[in-house]
Amino acid sequence: MRNFIDFLIKKSSWIWAILLTGVSLYLVFTQNSYQRSVYLTSANRVTGEIYKFSNQIVSYVHMQQNNRQLLEENARLHNEVETLKSVIAGFTTDSIYYSHAFANDSTTRPPQFDFIPATVVNKSISGVNNFLTLDKGILDGVKSDMGVISQMGIVGVVFNVSDHFSVVIPVVNPKFRVSAKIKNSENSGSLGWSGPELNIAQLEQLPKHEPFRSGDTVVTSYSRIFPKDLVIGYTVSVGKSKDDNFNSFNIELASDFHSLQHVMIIRDRFFDEQSKLEESISIP
Amino acid sequence: MKVSMIFEIVLFVVLIAFQTTIFSQISVFGVATPILYVYFLIKLPMGRNVFYVITSGFLMGLIIDIFLNTPGMNAAATTIIAALRKPLLNVFFSRDDYEEFVPSIYSSTKSFIRFVIVITIMHQTLLFFIESFTFFNLSYTIFRIFASSALTLVLIFALDGLMYRKSSGIQA
Repeated sequence: MRNFIDFLIKKSSWIWAILLTGVSLYLVFTQNSYQRSVYLTSANRVTGEIYKFSNQIVSYVHMQQNNRQLLEENARLHNEVETLKSVIAGFTTDSIYYSHAFANDSTTRPPQFDFIPATVVNKSISGVNNFLTLDKGILDGVKSDMGVISQMGIVGVVFNVSDHFSVVIPVVNPKFRVSAKIKNSENSGSLGWSGPELNIAQLEQLPKHEPFRSGDTVVTSYSRIFPKDLVIGYTVSVGKSKDDNFNSFNIELASDFHSLQHVMIIRDRFFDEQSKLEESISIP
Repeated sequence: MKVSMIFEIVLFVVLIAFQTTIFSQISVFGVATPILYVYFLIKLPMGRNVFYVITSGFLMGLIIDIFLNTPGMNAAATTIIAALRKPLLNVFFSRDDYEEFVPSIYSSTKSFIRFVIVITIMHQTLLFFIESFTFFNLSYTIFRIFASSALTLVLIFALDGLMYRKSSGIQA
């Protein structure tokens, strides 16, 4: 022990130097987006495979809950099928509406969105710089800035992609912001998360006259990344607003980030087309 | 002792001011940027407390980072250089040089030039690799390191020549 203390005193200047270098490198990695993105991609190539393996084991733990969610989803879809069946039955019996129903189908425009199913292989949700790693990458057609949803609601946005993995900035990251509104209202606000609770986000910059009703559904409004009217969460309480002209609500997020396992990545067929068209406005 | 402390503080402030306002804006042919503030570590007396050297190096890098909006990069490189300063001094200067001895181009030309060349190239190497953070395009990074080092060295030697004449009465 004495020797150890002697050693520490003798080398204390080196320890001090290493400490300060550590502080500097920490700043380099957390404050510079370029270095952070390099760190994230190179780290993922190595650790992605390991996380994939460990996840195969961990996924058994959450199996029961996932099973229940799947059953609920199944039931809901069954209900929907039944409802639609009855609607179709209504159309087939009424020949006038029948022709009406197919009138729109003559255009062969493909659906705008399709979905890539993916599994969460790693997640960091304990701190502030939260992220998720998914097991789908460039080779599966994933690109940066694609939206990610679960069966409960939206999850996040793809931030960085390698060949086989992608990193998602989830809703529960201060860098994530999405334009959102309360269902049945046309006033959009900005939804973000500032922690620390993992299931509460803030919907800010709502007009002052927007009334608060507990349990209202919050959905996405105009967004490049998400289709309209995707569920984000449900209002819980009136929050603290940064300035007096706007309202701020606390939102309970629909997605449960603790048990999140299976997600869908949204591929927008017209993303490039829309971006190009919208960017053309700023050219002259 | 007191005069040399004032000299150090003035040097510290002036180097930061010049580095952030002038030198970092220079980019000769897009490759060579003079990074002169390391001159502060060269000009400290030989026997200066190692903690003092490391801490001031870190602070200097950090302040420059704050001005240049590159958090941590200059701080990391300069802290490492400050820590390696003592071993390097022992290599290039004889150990029986007295405590208050300040390395300068007139007092010990050969050792001083070698010492400055090594410390500058090391500093630039650390800085450029922390900045680019990849071994991709290695030859270009190395070219930038040597171009910037050459420019920095010329400026340091010129500055030291001027400093000595100005402060010859004080013997900083």
